[in-house]
Amino acid sequence: MGFFVKFWGTRGSIPTPGPHTRKYGGNTSCVEVRVDNALFICDGGTGLRELGLDLMRRGQKNLNGHFLFSHTHWDHIQGFPFFVPVYIPGNTFTVYGTQDGDRRIHELLSGQMRSDYFPVNFADLRASIVASDLGPADRTIEGVRVRCLEQQHPGRSFAFSFEAMGHKVVYATDSEIDLLFPNPEDVTKNLDRPRPIPASHLEFCQGADLLIADAQYTDREYITKIGWGHARCSTVTDLAVQAGVKQLALYHHDPMQSDEDMEAKLGMCRQRAAAFGSKVVVFGAREGMELRIN
Amino acid sequence: MSQPKVPVDEADPSGGFDELATTQRAAIDIKTVSDARRVPVLRQMHGPGAPRDIPLSVDEVVVGRMPGVTIAIDSADLSRRHMRVRKAPAGLVCEDLDSRNGVYLNGVKIHSAVLSDGDQLQLGDVVFLFLEAG
Repeated sequence: MGFFVKFWGTRGSIPTPGPHTRKYGGNTSCVEVRVDNALFICDGGTGLRELGLDLMRRGQKNLNGHFLFSHTHWDHIQGFPFFVPVYIPGNTFTVYGTQDGDRRIHELLSGQMRSDYFPVNFADLRASIVASDLGPADRTIEGVRVRCLEQQHPGRSFAFSFEAMGHKVVYATDSEIDLLFPNPEDVTKNLDRPRPIPASHLEFCQGADLLIADAQYTDREYITKIGWGHARCSTVTDLAVQAGVKQLALYHHDPMQSDEDMEAKLGMCRQRAAAFGSKVVVFGAREGMELRIN
Repeated sequence: MSQPKVPVDEADPSGGFDELATTQRAAIDIKTVSDARRVPVLRQMHGPGAPRDIPLSVDEVVVGRMPGVTIAIDSADLSRRHMRVRKAPAGLVCEDLDSRNGVYLNGVKIHSAVLSDGDQLQLGDVVFLFLEAG
């Protein structure tokens, strides 16, 4: 019992298994948030398959889980057809849209299981897959306050926050914050200066015990990837610093980055946070890592 | 939560890994470096009993203050049963057994994690370096 977060997939864009990504992992986006018996699943990249196997090992009958998808790009939904608990009768999974009456994600999930893409049809899943939405503002699910925030990403994406037991966790991936700056060119010219993080993002992340944030690119990499929908690690460090976040998990690692590259990126972010006098704990999200939020 | 300062031990890692009186032997042997590296090891860098290598040659190892755990260390910072390292499908997993002072993996307080070569584990004043076999 308690408030737990576990990383099942931390890689962005495409699965990247192999010896160079052993430490941080090669599976794509999937994070389990557990508050007592309430199970929330953020994104269904290939890491979701591993979570499914683990849930089966735990042996709980009549599972009741809540799926929150940041968006429906491949690396966030590809694990869904391989998630064993959806084949088990008696289990129930609710798939949430982000706006009143929004059923788009539920439809896209079923769409990726058409016979053109996958041999098993969505209608053949034995668990109950229910479409719902977070409503216009926020929603309390099994005692957990869940909110969402629209982010800058091609085709849109959403961040989610989970508040319970006096603690707060934010899951904010696939978010190109730099494109929200009034003058993005000024940032590139003055990389050492604090970034002008939008008030909406600051408010959403304010005081979080843990911020899991898209930190795909270094400053050098970002220059050639503008408009691809992902953040500079330096910008999310500033977000964490300015929002008074306690722990920042760098997430959605670039498929080109090895474990060694990740360590270098981590070092840059820690140095930047320290330069601003922040005590935020910065770390790289690792597959299989579980934190107790307290 | 602030990041703990990790003490650095300057001990020569190539020798001097005799077990000390503060540590009790249980299900596994404390061996020399050359023997130990045939299997993964926890290299204790700091705290009572350091420096030494603890081979992870059994399926489950429990570190704590209580006599009778696999690796008993006489440190007031440790809970009676503080941390477990066990074999799992994903690899060797370390788990905090609801200890008072927690388990810090490379400076981050964790509940559990799959271990990777070079990881540093801090349990109060006790610091381990995890080394894979080979």
